[in-house]
Amino acid sequence: MIVRLLGAVLCGASLLACTSSAPQTAEPGSTVRLLAHDSFLLSDEVLASFTAQTGIEVQVLAGGDAGSMVAGAILAAGAPTADVLFGADNTLVQKAIDARVFEPYEAMERGTITPEIADYLDTDAVTPIDYGDVCVNIDDAWFEREGITPPASLEDLTDPRYRDLLVVQDPATSSPGLAFLLATISRFGDSWTRLRENGVKVAGSWTDAYYSDFTPAGGERPLVVSYATSPPAEIVFAEGTPPARPSTSVLTDGCYRQIEYAGVLAGTENPAGARLLIDWLLSRRVQEDIPLNMFVFPARSDAQLPQVFTDFAAQVEKPEQIPADQIAMNLDEWLARWDEILGR
Amino acid sequence: MVGAVGRDPRTLTVPVALRYAWLVPAGFITAFLLIPIAVLIGVVADAATLTGLGDIGLWRVAGLAATQALTSVLLTLVIGIPITGLLYRCDFQGRRGLLALATVPFVLPTVVVALALRTLLGDVVPQGLGLVLIAHVYVNLAVVIRIVGARWSRVDPRTVAVARTLGASPLTAWRTVTVPALRSSIGAAAAVVFVFSFTSLGIIAVAGDGTVRTLESVIVRRTSVLLDFPGAAAAAFLQVLVVTLVLVVTVRTRSPRTVGRTWNPRPAARPRTRIGIHASAIVVGVMLIAPLATMALASVRVDGAWTITWWPELLTGRIGVGSPQGALIRSIGIAVATGILASLIGGLAAASALAHRAGRTVAGIGLLPLGVSAATLGVGTLLAFGRDPVDLRATGLLIPIAHALVAVPLVIAVAVPALTETSNQRGLVAATLGARPLRAWWTCYGPVLRVVMIAAGGLAAAVSLGEFGAASVLARADSPTVPVLIERLLGRPGDASFGVAACLSVVLMAVTLVLVGLIDRLGRQRGVPL
Repeated sequence: MIVRLLGAVLCGASLLACTSSAPQTAEPGSTVRLLAHDSFLLSDEVLASFTAQTGIEVQVLAGGDAGSMVAGAILAAGAPTADVLFGADNTLVQKAIDARVFEPYEAMERGTITPEIADYLDTDAVTPIDYGDVCVNIDDAWFEREGITPPASLEDLTDPRYRDLLVVQDPATSSPGLAFLLATISRFGDSWTRLRENGVKVAGSWTDAYYSDFTPAGGERPLVVSYATSPPAEIVFAEGTPPARPSTSVLTDGCYRQIEYAGVLAGTENPAGARLLIDWLLSRRVQEDIPLNMFVFPARSDAQLPQVFTDFAAQVEKPEQIPADQIAMNLDEWLARWDEILGR
Repeated sequence: MVGAVGRDPRTLTVPVALRYAWLVPAGFITAFLLIPIAVLIGVVADAATLTGLGDIGLWRVAGLAATQALTSVLLTLVIGIPITGLLYRCDFQGRRGLLALATVPFVLPTVVVALALRTLLGDVVPQGLGLVLIAHVYVNLAVVIRIVGARWSRVDPRTVAVARTLGASPLTAWRTVTVPALRSSIGAAAAVVFVFSFTSLGIIAVAGDGTVRTLESVIVRRTSVLLDFPGAAAAAFLQVLVVTLVLVVTVRTRSPRTVGRTWNPRPAARPRTRIGIHASAIVVGVMLIAPLATMALASVRVDGAWTITWWPELLTGRIGVGSPQGALIRSIGIAVATGILASLIGGLAAASALAHRAGRTVAGIGLLPLGVSAATLGVGTLLAFGRDPVDLRATGLLIPIAHALVAVPLVIAVAVPALTETSNQRGLVAATLGARPLRAWWTCYGPVLRVVMIAAGGLAAAVSLGEFGAASVLARADSPTVPVLIERLLGRPGDASFGVAACLSVVLMAVTLVLVGLIDRLGRQRGVPL
């Protein structure tokens, strides 16, 4: 253990020493286990490329939703059930770091990460791999039909013109719901009375809100909390020939930025392989494979985005963010307050 | 039952092999239920758990959940018992199909059921307690129908006829003859429905409106959102406590009765009754099919027009979240393994309950997985068997084991009453004629046990087909089961995601129907309609 920690420290101190030694200590033929959440997905050939490059088998283990996965990792801290964890987002990652779930490792190409993403959390315990913005999505066709201008800001959602039009998710059961809660906190603090007075509906899950309450699915609400990348997904997963443009658009104000991290699990049996896997997750090949599989943006600034992303994914200029340590400290209280006011 | 025969005072000698049979289920439950929970307690429980138990809010949730669960039980019984009578006492065309159909909602992933019910009833019943209750009744009907039906088919119809001849009104005959015979099976079914509704999670999230809570939803919120483990442990502890209490009461009040053969349902003699039966059957059929049909419809529609686009996608795999065929083969494989494992463990537990005091205790403990939160069990299993020194993850055994744990209580619930109600006369005769104890025992209970194990194993396999919670945590990510795949698809936008998820749900319903149909047929050939 001490030797490993020492190695990690040396790695952090001297990038050079690390890059030259890691591939040598990683044993070809060994296996590295990647614990990932439900939404983790990469193309088969990209997954195979890791083994082709390193001779190390990669085994992807399902961890359930991100919350359950991180909970499991915290309980197993020090004697992990895998070697690398992918998909702890910024609402969860601080508690995992505090519980010493991760073994510090500075990825070889950390310098390539978009600065805003890299700067959110100043630690080498975890590496940002991708990010996505949770935003209110708009059913454009509905607003056109009704002759109403769609909302342009988060404040607009409390405007009586948009009464009874918004559906959000319960932050206690849904990750976009939690992101929306954080966006509103970051802008107005924990006062949701005006949202309630304006008739916001709280659904139990994203699936529920998007496929039951949202107007394109036959529901009654033309505004739904979803992702900035939902419109391109709509094109990619359309029936037959994809439509020229998506039928929904994104309210780019008041979006909450979720960053997903990967880290080497402390106590791993294959530290060298685990580090290689982190480097590989940040490699251009993987980063460019991420958008069309997971519908989030790559953390690397030089990764090329697919056409459908550059065309239709909303670029959020000023996302809302709350420091990870503040979330870890206050979340309990915020959720209780949300229950008090919006307790569906 | 008129002139019910009590248990014969002469008891059958318990065969030696059976005296130790309880060790197998006891070992299984210790290894895969008690050890994971103990490991988990060792990691999370501390002083904060004890203080957490003093939290008034937690007890309030428990109280509200208990009220909700009791209401669910009452409604399910009120609707389920007449349907059971229809399915097990009256013969009509399509009876067997209807019986298989009634099992489908029970095994579908709850997300699919809840979405279907919302699509169907969304305009009439708003989200909230009302919709939660409807959903609970819908999925739990199968529990009442299967457990009470198995008993009802063994009530001698001549006893009712005798009561009627002696001047009893149909209602009096029902009250004085049928109800006493069904009482313990109704109690068992009520306990199972109570536990399912009390620990409900998926339905609460999708059909509820946030004011409806269960301890299970508190556990999940505390573990996976707040990462507050001592608090979650307090809620989990309270949940186990309530469920254990309910099960103890049920087991205590179970009255063993000896009954004879099973009676096949007969077609009604009078034309007017026949019309009534057919009309009721149609009503029941529509009630069961309507929510399922909304999913079937969704699989062939897009933007208000008909389409068959989604079905070929099951084969092409453009949807990208994993191969649907692969998932189907995997799910069926896991279901078969679960069926075999659960029927063996549950069957042995039931058999030893007959033979041994320790066995009865084991059969009682075997019901416990019903009340242990899936989230708790999943994490505990990972901590105990997902890492060194015992890492079973790569073996692929963890999912069948977890599913078997969930299914064993159902096997026990079906098998124990069937065995205790079997007369030991045949065994005594065999013993008198010189059969050795094991042979005599098998002559007596073997045929029943075999049929019950097959039927309950089938039910276990069906449960496994639809299980989501454990599979989502214990699987390899690149080898999802069908319900996991459905959830993944429903977790992203796009017509194709929803359409293909609907197709997969239809496939899952079809596989379940075929499986349950086969099991029923097998049971019928062996002379026991189940």
